[in-house]
Amino acid sequence: MEGENHAVKAVNVLRSRICDPKFIFFDDSPDSNYSKLKFMISSSVTEACNNSILLLGPRGSGKSAVLELVIQYLMQEYPDSISVIRLNGLLHSDDISAFKEIARQLCMEHQLVFSKAASFDDNSQFMMAMLKECGLAHKTVIFVLDEFDLFAQGKQRLLYSLLDAMQSITSQAVVVGISCRLDADQLLEKRVRSRFSHRKLLFLPPSMEDSQRLLMHMLTLPIDSSFPHDYAVEFNKKVQNIIEDRRFKETLNKFLNIDSAVKDLLRFLFCAVSHMDLQTGFLSRENFEIAFFSIQRHPKLEFLRNCTELELYMLVCMKSLEVKEQSLCNFNSVMKGNICCYNRGQSFSSNHYYINVYWLGFRHLIDLEEISFLNFHCLNISPRKMQVLIDYYPICEELLSFRILPNLLRLKQF
Amino acid sequence: MDKDKTPQLPVRMTRSSASSSNHIATAEVNSLEPLTINDLLVGGDPISLDDIISSFPGRSSQIREVVRLLGPLNSPMLPLFVYGGPSTGKTSIILQLFRHLNRPLVYSSCRTCHNQGILFESILNQLRLHRKNAANGYSTAKRCERPSDFVNFLREALTNVVNNLKKSENSISNKMTNGKIGNMIYLVFDNFQLVREWEKSSTILPLLFNLHDLLKMPEVGVIFISNTSPDTFYTNMGYVEPVPILFPEYTEGDIRQILLRNQLNQKLYSSFLDLVLHSFYRITNQVSQLSATLKPLYEKYCEPLNDKGKGVAHNSEMNLRLSTHIKPHISSALNEIFKISYISSTEVETQKEEKWKGKSSRSEQSKELGSLDFHMSTSAKYLLISAFLASRNPATLDASLFDSKGGFDNRKRKRKPSEKALERKETLEEEMLMKGPGTFPLERLLAIFQCLVSVAEDPSDNEEQNNNASGVQSGSGDLMSDILLQLSSLCNANFIFKGRSCPIEGSTRYRSTISEDLALKVARSLKFPLSKYLYRS
Repeated sequence: MEGENHAVKAVNVLRSRICDPKFIFFDDSPDSNYSKLKFMISSSVTEACNNSILLLGPRGSGKSAVLELVIQYLMQEYPDSISVIRLNGLLHSDDISAFKEIARQLCMEHQLVFSKAASFDDNSQFMMAMLKECGLAHKTVIFVLDEFDLFAQGKQRLLYSLLDAMQSITSQAVVVGISCRLDADQLLEKRVRSRFSHRKLLFLPPSMEDSQRLLMHMLTLPIDSSFPHDYAVEFNKKVQNIIEDRRFKETLNKFLNIDSAVKDLLRFLFCAVSHMDLQTGFLSRENFEIAFFSIQRHPKLEFLRNCTELELYMLVCMKSLEVKEQSLCNFNSVMKGNICCYNRGQSFSSNHYYINVYWLGFRHLIDLEEISFLNFHCLNISPRKMQVLIDYYPICEELLSFRILPNLLRLKQF
Repeated sequence: MDKDKTPQLPVRMTRSSASSSNHIATAEVNSLEPLTINDLLVGGDPISLDDIISSFPGRSSQIREVVRLLGPLNSPMLPLFVYGGPSTGKTSIILQLFRHLNRPLVYSSCRTCHNQGILFESILNQLRLHRKNAANGYSTAKRCERPSDFVNFLREALTNVVNNLKKSENSISNKMTNGKIGNMIYLVFDNFQLVREWEKSSTILPLLFNLHDLLKMPEVGVIFISNTSPDTFYTNMGYVEPVPILFPEYTEGDIRQILLRNQLNQKLYSSFLDLVLHSFYRITNQVSQLSATLKPLYEKYCEPLNDKGKGVAHNSEMNLRLSTHIKPHISSALNEIFKISYISSTEVETQKEEKWKGKSSRSEQSKELGSLDFHMSTSAKYLLISAFLASRNPATLDASLFDSKGGFDNRKRKRKPSEKALERKETLEEEMLMKGPGTFPLERLLAIFQCLVSVAEDPSDNEEQNNNASGVQSGSGDLMSDILLQLSSLCNANFIFKGRSCPIEGSTRYRSTISEDLALKVARSLKFPLSKYLYRS
């Protein structure tokens, strides 16, 4: 009972670490992105100048987490001379709601009354006035634009007015764009691009060594009063052993070959930690292997395994029609092929099913999105052309390896 | 709900009943009191994990995995993505697990909340413990349409709820009571695959997938439930993938167990399943379809037993007799019963079922009588028929089918001389049937329409000799008037599909989308001999 309590506690600690980006991305070394970004922003805060930076990198590589860390640091360092406005391209990509959100956050920050009814013009003028005021008070406004590429759609009025305001001496602002499109700065209009300082920070996926260090960092329990000393020491030793294991390295390597961003690694860790045996209370290599297999999915194979024989048979028919006739088939032609087969005694089964049975299987295939319609919009589905979304090869594999289908079918198709 | 009869769950609950029954029950009990945080719990009697596992045969590994991923009390979670075919127990297992864990959740189905505004409002209403009633004019707690407002309100509401949870947890732990609900709150999005068909799916999908990252609240867990696998959710944005959990289709053995539950005479039913299950399983592996199909068949199977198989001693002789009785029915059941769309809930009483079936068969009969169930002007009907003919018949046969007089007597003469050409045409025609309706230009449609109208008015001309010629003339003129307007309204009603202009010929091409049955019905309502004009072997 005692041991189980520790185990539950350990799982909780590990899981909250995995879900807490601040713990993951804290890296104090001088050439880390964290230090670079900290230097850039804090210098523009202390020197009271304008700045604009782009953080680029694949999704889940910790761009916004690092920025949050930097902001947290700056808030402690210069509590009075910073205010942060956070926008997200997913939510505020149109200019009206973007300006409204900026006005709302500025009002929140400075204890002003925010009017919902304010027009677009009011809001943009209010923002300009506030920027000027902040500049006079030597207060830096940091604009965080998440999903930066979405702001670059349309007229880019928000970007233009922000960057244009920064050209004047009175204002004092930093614009930080975050995007997973590496060509984000190329999306900008000429008038916007010329006002943008082309500072970029690239976030790269971690190398194998870095990932191992990260694993170690994430999985070791703190040796202090929160856990019994023996338990924590043994836990850490086991983790160390697992990470140094050759077979574990192979698994990790396989995983990193597919998904290499930090967030994907975390997903892997999350699954592994969730599978930890609460009875023993320690992680084992099997946990990681199970996690690897549960995350590694083969959607088409999964689907084929879920098919009934009828559906598999229909898929084979469609696919062989596609291959033979070099054109796409529709429900009518599949049925015609079926009837021919039946007459030759090579049907799916000795029972002769009517059309609606095939129709049932057909509808199920559509629902599962393994076949899709091509061209026109039609009330009547049966003549619509369709496409099988699976390759011929896996279907054959499936037929040969997982099911024992009537020999006739096999003879017919291969 | 026959929960009190059996300690376990009923075999299958529909999504709506599984989710709403408890909510409704609580709502009815305290309809006057304001909602409390406890209303976010699934409710019902506490249920142990073993009970859940035994009530869902063949699902134990999935259940254990979900429990592991949900984790112990108060542990944060990455988003989960639960997927699998229809009626594989995704929703009911999730809901029962939350009943077992006794943790608060906000359940919203994307089927009932059919656009983003309603989805947002439903989530916020639940979180703000708001109930629509007469006092507040059945209004929602917060109106919000824009995603930006939604995220702000959601964050506000969630912090509120989480703070309340933390407070109540502290007070409860002081009292050392057993009912800990923790401080996590879970957002469950059911039927998530439907979001892709929403109007603004290109913005709402990435928003929901990134909701966990947007909120930056470790106390919030997000669970998606979907019929289709994660790789059918294409977005041009990309997102950090949620943790996938697959609910595979049931195997034959699992289905056997599921069907055997709640049966009075287990032995009899199992010998019945021995006979029929395999052949049905080859066609479908969905429990809902199977149970609906097998029910009438089982009744037929029991027919030789006088007391519906309740207390019959089971022996091999009886078995043999029953199996010979049922054999001829199996294949017909295989073919016919799938015609009727399956009944979604087995909890519907048999009486209702019978009524339903009676109704459907009646409606089928009435359909066969050939009455149209919608109104349409005569000229629109003729236009529809001519469009159908133009799509069905090859353009080369137009001249032989419709001459300037519109009679058929010429047709036979023309058909006779060239048997071979006819055969070729027949194969061509068959091919057209395969490939679906063909396209035609506007001119051809109008020409056929004119022919049809003139043909249709010939017999009336003969019958009503009293009418003078001018009256008939004006009648045909009436039918021809506003024909383009009619065409455009048919296009809008999706009876005729208007394609883009052909790059070679330069004119817009049309295509009829109605089925032959509908065309025949329309023709019958006009007493128009459509079958004579259909070119087929």
